[in-house]
Amino acid sequence: MTHLVILDNEAVQALASPAHRKHRQALAYAQVIASRKRRAADIQAVVPTTVRVEAGWDRTSPAWAFPNRLRITDIPLDTAAASTAAAIRAQTRVSVADAHIGAVIGAAQATNVTVVTSDPADMRRIAGDKAVTIAAI
Amino acid sequence: MAGQSAVERISALLDAEGSPTSNTSMRLPAALRDAAALAVAELGVAPSATALTAAALRAMLEAIVMQAALDQHYQHYPQAHPDRGDLAIAAAQLDGHPLAAQPERLRQAAVEITANHPAATPDDVLLWAEARAMPAA
Repeated sequence: MTHLVILDNEAVQALASPAHRKHRQALAYAQVIASRKRRAADIQAVVPTTVRVEAGWDRTSPAWAFPNRLRITDIPLDTAAASTAAAIRAQTRVSVADAHIGAVIGAAQATNVTVVTSDPADMRRIAGDKAVTIAAI
Repeated sequence: MAGQSAVERISALLDAEGSPTSNTSMRLPAALRDAAALAVAELGVAPSATALTAAALRAMLEAIVMQAALDQHYQHYPQAHPDRGDLAIAAAQLDGHPLAAQPERLRQAAVEITANHPAATPDDVLLWAEARAMPAA
């Protein structure tokens, strides 16, 4: 069983900044993922690259050293994902980053897909018919 | 600091794409080697026993790096350290478990299970809370 955990902009901000009011909650998600990985669970945290842009997450900047160490994988906006995201954006009027999240959800092969987000309603809209778990931050 | 440097180096090595392969003198228990070969041949879990071994090693190293990063972060920001209740809630939310909507029940379960099992995982707490929520037969 594979579990894909997708972070949205707010989740990234909360994870990165100790001053963020949801920092402890974001760390709890990261800790659960780390604990499950340690027990050989097939679970992976990912961030769409446009979410990184929106959040200002520059992997070369020392300011982002902590989230860089958490083994959160980039999901790039490739040609196919860009087309899917464009269609989602046209239908739902969400941001480019959220449309990219929708494309990642749509393409995911994982058994379980969870989005950690501050905007559950938008995430349900962009997920369409795809089963997705929303973890509200 | 040596530990932190090692974690960063391990993380960078895990990120290295197209790294050349090398023969190793690593000695595996024969039974483990044979079990891996069977899993590949009969269950198709990986293209080869080598690929299976590399994937398992990568997953474990990623978990180790992630936990080391979190532990270092907790040292700097102890107030951000999630407690067992926070972790159980995070686990429930990531899984879309119905008890995610009852955080107080999860916090209570965390207190109860920690009394007898100090090393209980968030998933142990979730299981205990689920058992406690079942009506008596």
